[in-house]
Amino acid sequence: MSARPLLATDRASLMLQLVPYLISRGEVSVADAAEDFEVTPEQMRAMVEKLTVIGLPGDGGFWQMANDLFDIDWDLLDEQDHISLTNAVGLERTPRLTAREAAALLAGLQLAASLPGVGDSGVVQGLLAKLARGASSAPADVIVAPSAVDEVRTTVSDAIRAGVAVSFTYQAPDAAPTTRTVDPVKVHIADGQWYLQGWCHLREAIRTFHLDRVSSVALTDIPIAHAGEPVPGLFASAESDAVVEVRCRADVLPLLGDYLDRASVSGSGEYRSAALRVADERSIKRVAARLGGDVEITAPAAARASAASWAEAGLAQYR
Amino acid sequence: MNGDSHRSAPEERLVNLVVALLATEQGLTKDTILTSVAGYREQGAGGASKDALEKMFERDKENLRALGVPIETIGDFADPDDLREARYRVPTAEYSLPVDIDFSPAEIAVLNLASGVWGESSMSADARSGLRKIRALGIDVDAPIIGYAPRISLREPSFTPLQRAIEQARVVEFDYIKGGSDAAHRRRLQPFALLEYEGRWHVYGFDVSLGAERTFLLTRISSDVTVTRTSFDAALREGAGEKALAGLTAVAERQRALLEVEPGTEAALRLHRRGIPAEQGIHVPYVDAHIFADELASYGPEVRVVAPTDLRDLVIDRLERTRALHEKAVA
Repeated sequence: MSARPLLATDRASLMLQLVPYLISRGEVSVADAAEDFEVTPEQMRAMVEKLTVIGLPGDGGFWQMANDLFDIDWDLLDEQDHISLTNAVGLERTPRLTAREAAALLAGLQLAASLPGVGDSGVVQGLLAKLARGASSAPADVIVAPSAVDEVRTTVSDAIRAGVAVSFTYQAPDAAPTTRTVDPVKVHIADGQWYLQGWCHLREAIRTFHLDRVSSVALTDIPIAHAGEPVPGLFASAESDAVVEVRCRADVLPLLGDYLDRASVSGSGEYRSAALRVADERSIKRVAARLGGDVEITAPAAARASAASWAEAGLAQYR
Repeated sequence: MNGDSHRSAPEERLVNLVVALLATEQGLTKDTILTSVAGYREQGAGGASKDALEKMFERDKENLRALGVPIETIGDFADPDDLREARYRVPTAEYSLPVDIDFSPAEIAVLNLASGVWGESSMSADARSGLRKIRALGIDVDAPIIGYAPRISLREPSFTPLQRAIEQARVVEFDYIKGGSDAAHRRRLQPFALLEYEGRWHVYGFDVSLGAERTFLLTRISSDVTVTRTSFDAALREGAGEKALAGLTAVAERQRALLEVEPGTEAALRLHRRGIPAEQGIHVPYVDAHIFADELASYGPEVRVVAPTDLRDLVIDRLERTRALHEKAVA
């Protein structure tokens, strides 16, 4: 986990969580605690040391007595880098979730509820009620609309759980359909679209399949053989990617969405240039038409020409 | 402690304050807090003015409330300007997770999955922090749920201020582009709920200028969102998320495009899943004409819009602009 810069209020919030955590863990290494709290081991050690000067108010302005302060086993910390709380003067109970924390988990649960095998277990409904009750104030309504789960999504999920390969017809854009047998590894859901990552027996490599392009899906009885293969990120660049240069107004850039995550952008002022990495140069004409004249393909010339003729062919239908 | 340490770290003072306020049943007066709670005490002894200490205390209270610490004020409110006799405390029952809430190992496994959906976005830290609090209850976890990587994208900077405005029940202002190349207009909104629908974020609320409930796309907000000091009745938010969802679903029921689609193409693949066969072509429901026109334009010659006319014109406009922009060699 990467450590982020912490504000005083962040550190206070972590310390309020630290006491019940240490009580429930008994004894824990600085490294494990740091990982659980997503801070560096140095930050964790500093927090624990600070905890020992915190305690109940002194009487009438006098310094607090030792047993009015939190304390730890110092020998254990110095010698073994382990934390163990020896005196607690409050904060034993876990604080409620903030409205923001509850909202973030509630929205995540709504998406989880749409997953075959997760949402149909009845667990999610109970959790929604518990989280709402465990929040310190009413969370903002953050709703994630459920998407329909069809036979393809269910079958692919079944295959992952059963540990068998799945076979289907795959229709890539601007290509002939192919029949694939795939060892499923992971189902990704991004921007409401479902993708399957898995080992493709035809290509003998990890491939990503958009589930909208999958049809005639069936479970096989072939056990998964390539589950341990390293899986690249969903939209990771491949060496075979083509590079397309585009030009657009700065405020249009965000509309490029996922393409932007892998693009290098240059220029300043009203217009920007971006070098987009695309898996298939033929697909960029669709992006240009989608953004209806707000994005101009400047290179390569073939991609630019294909955008013009794509739009022209579309227009020809209306004459 | 040595002489320099009366400037102790602010988080120490904040946590000391929570410990003190949790430990008292009848509440502590401001004077008691400023003279006895570590952090204030040393600064007072170190020469800080009473006024500065009181300001610091007010700020600390605000910060702690933002962290979800319920600081209660008990006192004589006959004279609201005189809070000298007011006492402050944090009721344990409201501070901590209710004792009767517990989580099963299977529930923790699902929460693990749910907390991971936000990727690197601003909601991510909140989700993980919430999960950490629940896990501090010391519950065992089932084997993790494998095979799924669900993600909710959150690229719009307007999300965070809108969420804050909903929590605080405050009116917001922003510039909004209704669609296509229209000019932006200033909107004043009582925001009630945020809604992700078909992969896009919307805010639903009461448009003060129009005097009606409206749903806005976050991608079309073209300015910063200003959270004003004007508040609205928090009860208006109740059930708003469900209402917003029902509203968008009803729009999709009502608005249907009649399309002719070339078989075996990308357009056929993507549209047939959502469509209902018609005598000539298919009917496809849609929520927003501009967004649907963007998608239809991307299919080029693979789809022809038969009706409605406004959607057809929007598609033609996109195709014409795309052609105009690309028909000549690069200048």
